Amino acid sequence: MEVAQARSDAPASPQPTRSPRRTQDYLTIALFLAPAFILFLIFLVYPIFSSLYFSLFNWNGLGPAVDFVSLDNFKQILTDQVFMKAVGDCLLIVVLSLIIQLPLALALAIMVGRDLPGRAFFRAVFFMPYVLSEVITAIIWMGLFSADPSRGLINALLILIPGVQPQGFLSNIHQVLLCVFVVLSWKYFGLHMLLYMAGLQNIPKEVEEAALIDGANRWQLTTNVTIPLLGSTIRTTIYLSVLGSLTQFTLVWIMTKGGPVNASEFMATYMYRFGFVRFMLGYGSAVALVMLLICLAFSVAYLRLARQPDYLGGM
Amino acid sequence: MAANPLHRREILKKHAPRFFQYLVLFFVTLVIIVPILVLAFDSLKTNGEMFLHPYTPPSNPQWDNYVQILTKSSFWVLMRNSLIVMASSTAGVLIVCSLAAFVFARMPFRGKDLAFNLLTLGLMFPITVAIMPVYLAIRQMHLTDTLLAVILIQIAFGMSGNILILRGFFLAVPGELQDAASIDGCSAFGFFWRVLLPLVRPALAAVGALTMIISWNDLLTPLVILDSENLWTLPLGTMQFQGQYSSNLALVAAFVALSSVPAIIFYLFAERQIVAGLTAGALKG
Amino acid sequence: MSRKMYTILSIMLIGAFALAACGPAAPKTVTINWWHISTADPGLSFWAGLAKQYMTDHPNVTINITVLENEAFKTKLTTVMQSGNPPDIFQSWGGGDMNAQVQAGMLQDITPALDANSGAWRQTFGAGALSVYAYQGKNYGVPWDMGMVGWWYNKDLFAKAGITDTPTTWSDFLNDVKKLEAAGITPIALGEGDKWPGMHIWMYLATRIGGEAAFDAAYSQKGSFTDPAFIQAFQKLQDLIALQPFQPGYLSATHDDMEGYFGNGKAAMELTGQWGPSVETADSADKKGVANLGFFNFPSVEGGVGKNTDVCGGGNGFAIGKNAPPEAIDFVKFLTNATNEAQMAKLGMGIPPVAGAESGLTDPNMLAVKQNVANATYFQLYYDQYLPPAMGSALNDSVQTIFAATATPQQAAQAIEDSAKQNLK
Repeated sequence: MEVAQARSDAPASPQPTRSPRRTQDYLTIALFLAPAFILFLIFLVYPIFSSLYFSLFNWNGLGPAVDFVSLDNFKQILTDQVFMKAVGDCLLIVVLSLIIQLPLALALAIMVGRDLPGRAFFRAVFFMPYVLSEVITAIIWMGLFSADPSRGLINALLILIPGVQPQGFLSNIHQVLLCVFVVLSWKYFGLHMLLYMAGLQNIPKEVEEAALIDGANRWQLTTNVTIPLLGSTIRTTIYLSVLGSLTQFTLVWIMTKGGPVNASEFMATYMYRFGFVRFMLGYGSAVALVMLLICLAFSVAYLRLARQPDYLGGM
Repeated sequence: MAANPLHRREILKKHAPRFFQYLVLFFVTLVIIVPILVLAFDSLKTNGEMFLHPYTPPSNPQWDNYVQILTKSSFWVLMRNSLIVMASSTAGVLIVCSLAAFVFARMPFRGKDLAFNLLTLGLMFPITVAIMPVYLAIRQMHLTDTLLAVILIQIAFGMSGNILILRGFFLAVPGELQDAASIDGCSAFGFFWRVLLPLVRPALAAVGALTMIISWNDLLTPLVILDSENLWTLPLGTMQFQGQYSSNLALVAAFVALSSVPAIIFYLFAERQIVAGLTAGALKG
Repeated sequence: MSRKMYTILSIMLIGAFALAACGPAAPKTVTINWWHISTADPGLSFWAGLAKQYMTDHPNVTINITVLENEAFKTKLTTVMQSGNPPDIFQSWGGGDMNAQVQAGMLQDITPALDANSGAWRQTFGAGALSVYAYQGKNYGVPWDMGMVGWWYNKDLFAKAGITDTPTTWSDFLNDVKKLEAAGITPIALGEGDKWPGMHIWMYLATRIGGEAAFDAAYSQKGSFTDPAFIQAFQKLQDLIALQPFQPGYLSATHDDMEGYFGNGKAAMELTGQWGPSVETADSADKKGVANLGFFNFPSVEGGVGKNTDVCGGGNGFAIGKNAPPEAIDFVKFLTNATNEAQMAKLGMGIPPVAGAESGLTDPNMLAVKQNVANATYFQLYYDQYLPPAMGSALNDSVQTIFAATATPQQAAQAIEDSAKQNLK
């Protein structure tokens, strides 16, 4: 920060209001941010405004949009039970991910981050699901979840337990959402694990050693030292996980298309069905904007709440 | 002797957590690996065998499935295109995002918070939602049917998450280092290039790995942007075997298995970068 | 300049132009963009072969083929249409989708080409099949495959259950289902995860109960989709569902799951189109499919006004893009000539809608299908294809709610009618 005129007896020479250093700073900032913002304007701002425009029409995607309906699309969305269900499903997945997927990823990252023999093997294996494409992940799990025990491995194992019947899983409207959650966790927990592993990097070994010397056992070390120091990384993964759950599409679409009968409906599958299957692109754009607003609301609230000083300089 | 039962209990106490850890790890490994094994098995079966016996080891491994794919010149064209796109997208993401993340982490200016919040919009407006207007924008720039368009789109939609991640890691670098560097007459860029980046290598490797994989598996963007078959990437090529995602699934499985190999190799390489520092310890002093 | 000079110059200029005009006109190279969805053989090689043949015969024409998988094709076509530059020839199922494309000015009116030479080309097609690609009396595409949906059944499994004759009425049908269950055989394979397979059952029930009149009334909105015919169709469907005749997990099964299940001999029947035999064979374990395959029409419903000769079905065709050159139409004529259609039939790619191509149909089942289509008293394109896309999807969703027992017939019908009010203005 430039030093203000600290001394009243300093010569009142006509100085420029910004020192050359400050200008250089602004120039640096502008240059550094330029590529990101240019891409941002072209590929994010323009599509959002484009969607805003189309959301005011009833438009099938062919030719120009002419049937102006102003806010009717939005009214319909907010009164549609199916959309409400979609929001509810998304929120359920958000909560489940936060209480199951993230802690699991953290535990595993800590476990394989230490001096555990064979950790390199485990690290490689745990990240594999993330490497597979969503399409093939969906196909594999559709097979595993097959309701027919001669085709679905899970049911085949399940009926070995005496008294247990084969389950419908993806065809059972009460089970399908949980099955989707299992697949989402399987695929994405590796991402969070990777980030935690990188975050563990930033914790100086000396801090851990000091705590151990002070008599802390492994559990205390983990809960009182490691996790707090991972604070910013954890906050990042929470943020990514929530937004990822709210915008989840490909896996769900291929596995269930949001069904059967909307039992596994997500906001994005709802949008895709109306936009690309029913060719109601105006309505689909409106759904996209509602999704955006919901995500934005979360983001603003979260960034405000999560604004705490971190031990090592956090988020 | 009196010490013996006590001694045994001590050993148990010492090893129990380790044993428990291994149990958990083993179970998780099983859950992870079984579906992948099923994929591997499927890739060696005939399509019909896959329907009848989806999860048993193949009775008559159809290595021909793999041979069929590897000998098709089109497979290697697909591989080449995927590599070009992936390498460019990853390089682009690393450059654009680390530059931006540096500013948000280390350089104060008015409106910084607003700018940062704006940039995270990309996480809330994913490409599936944006594909129509994005296509129109590409068309207006006369970039349809080019790999460049695919690369630019991937960078643009990868920005938000990666800037966020990198910013978090940049913030962990002590401010004193930057002050020291500026006292030494180092410009912001100099600090960025010569001091900061090497320090956050694990984070860069992590971001690189994630971006590589997302780019590698991206189907929607190349599908919509690319027309010429000689520009297609691997996911588009996989689609040719898929029909409605079901027919000739064995060949699809083989194709997918083969296309996953590079992605796995990239990850393994990047992973070494990420955890290289774990044993060495992080920042000193 | 002097007047003389002007005259000489003008004559020279006119002469030059005349010479240029009279000179041998070099044939301009024409490029045709063709998008189709036959990602596998025999279609893939067959189409490529025909394109090559045409290009050899017409050296100034280049045909660029883009082969896309079904879902990818629909996605990509949408974006490309948005930019106002559709492909010259592309896969089309006719009906509401095509109509929307016509209304947006994306397709070319090829009625003149059909009617040329006193309708030479038009007459090669069956009228019902050709009408699928017409909108308000004008054609924007032609079919290359037009068949029908019906019950394909495993003769061996029927014999095992003691069924000697195929059912002709709905009560006979339900009785046969019960016999199959008693014999421990899954009566019907159904891929309701994809929604449209189950919709076909309801569609036929509605057609048998209400006939052409009921659907026409509802479609023109003089009547409604909550008319008795449609509600009764839902009720009859519920009767079938109550017998639990489908394979486990059918509610999330895909169409290919269904065909595979049937092809592996695990279910006695499936309601599917003319692609049934080739797909169930391809999806089966031994690639041979059902050994003794039979076909019977959807049974009549007692008390219904529909005729047994009413047919529900559909097929595949070529739509012509608005910017397509005349050579594209000529190429399509070539693709749909009797020789090529016969070859197509022989390869099992579909049922040719073209006269003179029957020679390619050796399979008695397929011949039966073709006869039924040709002699149909009322040919109805599958509802979800015939109706505007928004409504077709809503209709499929409604039918699925009956299978999942999350709605009553009245509610399901009302949902369809609500969609009709919005989309059939």
